[in-house]
Amino acid sequence: MTALLVLMHAGTMNAATAPPLPDLARLRRTRLDRLQSEMRRQEVDAAVLLHPPHITYATGFVPEAVDASQLVYHRPVAIVPAEGPPRLHVHEPVGETTDLDAIIGAPLWPELDEGIDALTGAIHTVVGDLDGRRVAVDAITGAMARADVFAGAELHDATRVLGPARLCKTDDEVACIEHAQIINERAMEVARRRCVPGARRSEVAGAFLAELRSLGAHHNEIDPIFQVMPRRLADAVTTDKGAVAFPTGIEDPVFDEGDLVWVDAGHGYEGYASDFGRTWIVGRDPDEAERQAFLEWLQVMDETVAAVRPGATLGDIGRAATAANGGEPPWLPHFYVAHAVGLDSAEMPMVGSDLGEDFDDGFVLAEGMILVLEPVIWHDGVASYRAEEIVVVTGDGCRMLTSHPGYDPYERPATTGSTP
Amino acid sequence: MNSPALLQSRRDRVLTAMADADLDVLVLGRQDDANFASGMHRLWTAGTRPFGAGCIVVRSTGRTHVLSSWDAGLPATMSPDDLYPSTWNPRVMTGHMSSVPGLADAKRIGVDEVSPSFARAAARIAGNAEVVAADDVMARARRHKSPEEIELIRRACAVAWAGIDAYLDEPGIGVAGLVEAIAAAGVTIPSSAPLIRPLPDRHHLDVGVMVEGYEGGVGDGFVNGTRLDRRDLWKACVPGATHTDLAGAARGDWLVRGLGMGYERPVLSESVGHHETLEAGMVLSVGDGEQRDVVAVTDNGPQRLSTHP
Repeated sequence: MTALLVLMHAGTMNAATAPPLPDLARLRRTRLDRLQSEMRRQEVDAAVLLHPPHITYATGFVPEAVDASQLVYHRPVAIVPAEGPPRLHVHEPVGETTDLDAIIGAPLWPELDEGIDALTGAIHTVVGDLDGRRVAVDAITGAMARADVFAGAELHDATRVLGPARLCKTDDEVACIEHAQIINERAMEVARRRCVPGARRSEVAGAFLAELRSLGAHHNEIDPIFQVMPRRLADAVTTDKGAVAFPTGIEDPVFDEGDLVWVDAGHGYEGYASDFGRTWIVGRDPDEAERQAFLEWLQVMDETVAAVRPGATLGDIGRAATAANGGEPPWLPHFYVAHAVGLDSAEMPMVGSDLGEDFDDGFVLAEGMILVLEPVIWHDGVASYRAEEIVVVTGDGCRMLTSHPGYDPYERPATTGSTP
Repeated sequence: MNSPALLQSRRDRVLTAMADADLDVLVLGRQDDANFASGMHRLWTAGTRPFGAGCIVVRSTGRTHVLSSWDAGLPATMSPDDLYPSTWNPRVMTGHMSSVPGLADAKRIGVDEVSPSFARAAARIAGNAEVVAADDVMARARRHKSPEEIELIRRACAVAWAGIDAYLDEPGIGVAGLVEAIAAAGVTIPSSAPLIRPLPDRHHLDVGVMVEGYEGGVGDGFVNGTRLDRRDLWKACVPGATHTDLAGAARGDWLVRGLGMGYERPVLSESVGHHETLEAGMVLSVGDGEQRDVVAVTDNGPQRLSTHP
């Protein structure tokens, strides 16, 4: 049973309010079409893919969310021609992947010198002689480099063809993200009840991870963050740009009453990432200053969301956020005020990053693009508020994919209007 | 956080391996390699990332440099000056790398993986340098474990047991309860996906975790809360053992691979590792069918680190 069906059976959601489930066969077909069209447009003859999000996009196969070192050795490999079915080589039992539209091949070991003959054979089966061919590649292992696997080919970064293909999401991709987000938010409700004075971060994280499992989800992508934020910048670890360091992800503190906790977590559905961001207060309701920071955050969020529509530039979004915050950019300078999610937890487009204003002004939003907006309000010495909302650009504006559980322990006042 | 002595010894092992391979600089993109060389403690994310310069080791200065915008998690063996901040901008990144002392005039730069765009960037940063594969250099540095590392691995195995014990006490808790029991021991990072398979005559469990950067794990069939422990492949893990020896001792699908800061070399299975020979000082994950143990190869014979604590 899928996690969403579990939710529906648990009575928290019914068929009318639940977002539509993705049609996975259509999702796979559309993605491969987009990728291969982009390859043909750029006259790329083949793509040899080792990076999990790339493999998922090309074949539908979702590698397990485990430690990178395990994946490095038991790497799936996808070899995609400009036309025709891709080849997918996996270490898992083939039975679980037979419904994919890829030709399933024997496991490959691109990490090991003795695995290279089989890899080269598989590439040649799809591409033929590499001499003079344009090949898109995402990772070249040491063994591949020593054997000069791509000798004679003109190599390009795989992001060159995958980047444009992945930028605008199909309805099925959006459904995956929304589905992942609902599960994430639901598991966080359980975690929040456990985030009490005396609890340790790992216990709260454990409650979250356990609830994900109970909901049938098994693709946690990040060690969930419950970071206690100092009230004063002077007491905080800061970045090279003088802002508060977040997320450091290295502490396992015991929470005290009144701690401000910035929460951030992501797990994937069919490989598509969710992104939960909220601020919690341990063991009590927010005081007046904390509520004020939240209200300012709401205003920044509402005004920024209102600027999201097809035809707007990333620069427009950043300026809307800055204007709503009285002229100060309301985001952590080592990040951005918005990024996308998809098969990666942070992908293009990004708003307000150090790619710079010219980049932002030259990048125009289009239907199907995703933005995770994550403004930060920081009143030094008093209170801070950070949370995230995901929107998808629609034909005439945007639609929110988050906020099913609200902002506990904060409350959106009725007078600030409805959720955009 | 690992002890300064361990961090220093790991860095020394990397510098020695670099000298043996005549490398001036190592650029490490893999989290486990970067962690091994630097000891910088950072946020865990699942899965591989696209290659980027996560850590730079310079032989002439003996310094490790790490990509980080803050010094939280900085080990005692590094200074804040050894950090270069993260960026989304490839041009800014090129500038940061260029300012790492010893990189611009390097003759040989080793990488543990590479992408076409990084190869081009390296040519801009260090015009005279040859960029060579150095995954094998890192594998050599990581091949033998110190007593302190073996103890860390034993502790990680004990955390895996905390999950298994909780499940055996009350199978109804399922994988959710197992994950929660491991978190109660302070650990929220898996090395592999936790496996619970109820079978008619036994429960097949396999759990792997990362604790302070080191992996631990155990797997087997269990009947009435007792581990079956029926396979002897681990006993064949002695210095000098070859692929043939291990294949002869295995009774099911088998995999013997290095275990330390995650999955490491050597890797031996039915299909790979035909030229490998086991050496004292290696720590291995030894899987034969459902049974998986973590074993230290010593001159006094194999030592199981994954027995019930």
